[in-house]
Amino acid sequence: MNIQDFIENFAAQFDDTDEALFTAETEFKSLDEWSSLTALSIIAMVDDEYDVIIKGSDILNSNTIQDLFEIVEKQQH
Amino acid sequence: MRIAGMSACVPKTVEDNLTLAIYKDQNEAQKVITSTGIERHHKVEAGTTASDLTVKAVEDLLQNLGWEPQDVDCFAYVCTSRDYIAPQTACVLQDRLKLRSDCCVFDLPFGCSGWVYGMSIVGSLMSHGTLKRGILVAAETNTQNRNPRDTTVRPLFGDAATATALEYNENDSHPMNFMFGVDGSGFDAVWAPYGGMRNPVTPESLVEKEVSPGVFRRGVDMVVNGMDVFGFAIKQPPRSIKELISTFNIDVETVDLLLLHQANKFIDEKIRKSIKMPPEKTPYCLEEYGNVTSASIPLTMVSRCREQLSEDDKHCIACGFGVGLAWASMEFYAGRINIGNVIEY
Repeated sequence: MNIQDFIENFAAQFDDTDEALFTAETEFKSLDEWSSLTALSIIAMVDDEYDVIIKGSDILNSNTIQDLFEIVEKQQH
Repeated sequence: MRIAGMSACVPKTVEDNLTLAIYKDQNEAQKVITSTGIERHHKVEAGTTASDLTVKAVEDLLQNLGWEPQDVDCFAYVCTSRDYIAPQTACVLQDRLKLRSDCCVFDLPFGCSGWVYGMSIVGSLMSHGTLKRGILVAAETNTQNRNPRDTTVRPLFGDAATATALEYNENDSHPMNFMFGVDGSGFDAVWAPYGGMRNPVTPESLVEKEVSPGVFRRGVDMVVNGMDVFGFAIKQPPRSIKELISTFNIDVETVDLLLLHQANKFIDEKIRKSIKMPPEKTPYCLEEYGNVTSASIPLTMVSRCREQLSEDDKHCIACGFGVGLAWASMEFYAGRINIGNVIEY
């Protein structure tokens, strides 16, 4: 899996946030649009795209998109 | 074993998610409605119990079937909102419903998987042939054990009681097939931390606290850890149904109804699509009643499938999943069921 695709898939779960704001270093929980519902969309996206089920704690323990990417990558192997 | 009749009772009071005061505006409320599919739910007034709704549902069921209370040989009560810590609520209900003193009655404290587990347990008991008529209740007052200021649960859960009448028939050729599952490591994904023997009620556990911005709870209130439940719900139920299909060689094309626990639309649609079941075979009632835990599947059958299930046998798959974490899937045939209207109390 590659980080660029992951960022694009991640950004696709948001409706109102400018796509340019999403980079590997984005602290996603500080985004205005972030909510518990977005978290569920992210869990569903990771399941659909990467066949990995992440936990609530994986999201809580990640600050940046890169952090979450690494968690998903580790679980894929 | 066949399902002879079904009934359901919900409280009169309706709470509309769009106008709930817990949201900053209707936009926020609409977002929740869109993602969960839940528009409203029914809510008991304080003092009304799941067993009160049950009495109405069972009386309606008996009347529609022309059964007398003394005809009932077995009575199972699936519920976690019990009347008292002791005794079992089924004992109290034996007297209220005027069931026989040699009726086999018991509680089954299951949550969302409860109707499927209950069908298996009551079905097995009755298959011995000495108990000819049974009633399986699935009831819950979810609004009473959750904090009204907990925005993560208030819009999702509702109250209801359902009753399913089962009849032993030695010539019945259709088996009921089951697949069970449990993951106790997720016990705290949906739980009430205080009020049991592990963490008894203390003055501190009755104090309401803001556990995250805008979310208020007491130690005795039910906690639903949405992210973990969601991760579980999109993984285990599809696996369980697929196992059921392969173990019992089910031809999915012949299935008429997929009856899912009404968790939320997003989860249920993922499950439906994972086994390629068309939308017209997957009824929903969550928009009107919310998540009513163990009562979800029978309430869907009563409120959405009344006509279909009054005709010849339909080939059904049901799947319940949630608190435990526990889940169960079943294959069964149901038809010519005497189903009443949803009554309000």
